[in-house]
Amino acid sequence: MSVKKLIAELSPEELVDSFVFPVRLNKKQKQEAAEQLAAARKKSQSATSEEDKLILGLLRLKFQIETYIKSEKYDHKLSFGYFLKEYVSLLQIKRKLFAEELSIDETLLSQLINQKRDPPEYLMVRLEIHSNNAIPADYWFRVMESAVNMKLKPIKNYGEKRKNLFRINYQLLSDITLL
Amino acid sequence: MLITRRETGTNEEVQITALEDKDLKKLTQSRYFFDWKKAREEGTVYKLSLVEGDDILGLISLIEVSVEKRVEIALLCVSRENKGRNKKYDTIAGCLIAFACRIALEAFGIDACVSLIPKTELKEHYKSKYNMLDGGWQMYLEGKSLKEIIIKHYI
Repeated sequence: MSVKKLIAELSPEELVDSFVFPVRLNKKQKQEAAEQLAAARKKSQSATSEEDKLILGLLRLKFQIETYIKSEKYDHKLSFGYFLKEYVSLLQIKRKLFAEELSIDETLLSQLINQKRDPPEYLMVRLEIHSNNAIPADYWFRVMESAVNMKLKPIKNYGEKRKNLFRINYQLLSDITLL
Repeated sequence: MLITRRETGTNEEVQITALEDKDLKKLTQSRYFFDWKKAREEGTVYKLSLVEGDDILGLISLIEVSVEKRVEIALLCVSRENKGRNKKYDTIAGCLIAFACRIALEAFGIDACVSLIPKTELKEHYKSKYNMLDGGWQMYLEGKSLKEIIIKHYI
């Protein structure tokens, strides 16, 4: 069905509810369109409130974490500490105050951000509450889990390669389980 | 993300993922209106389908304009049975536009923008349906309007 036929068949409301049609602009029109959009955006950007900016920032962080955990590909840069640092900088508050709000020591916060320490589980829930449920506890947990899985990988591989050496022990263990 | 089956009023969960080579043979112009193979050469095409089922209910082609922190919707359609007054599901196009906003927000941050070039006679209708802003030749979502469409369809 051609675009013309669709436009004739459907009401404008139905059309925008179903389509974005291809529109080709010539070089001059493209230039004009780019200039007009830039001017309009300049105005609308200055009108964006601080609250909207914060919400957009939180949504972005949530989506970034979601995309990362769904990818199931470990990236050492995208650590718990990295996302926590992003969260704190979004809020634009001092780390000391943020640590107080989470009821943790500032030193612990610093260690977590700099990846010197694994995050305690209670912190995930506190972060969920702190973000007013915008970033669920299980997102934080799964970021941490991907790093733990990565740490375990060489140990698991080592175990797999030497499985035969432990055959007798496995038998013994299964006998004990049956008793 | 949810769409509503009009017959029963029930919500069903959908997913939006990148179009794969194997999908192309399903994309006939009689059901999906446009040449999606060609669209794929010019932008990135995503498909919307039910989480439980692989039937494609809608498609969107996106072009990233990084230098302008903008994602352009080059093409969008719902499948034939989802257009007009007798459509099967509601809010497919809204979900696809919200997805474009998500892509832009992830890539460009709080200054992200999603734009499209409308047919002149549809300009006002994109404005009232999606709260799009008037950018001359183009209509766009940014800041509050971009936030609102994401919240409506994702939260």
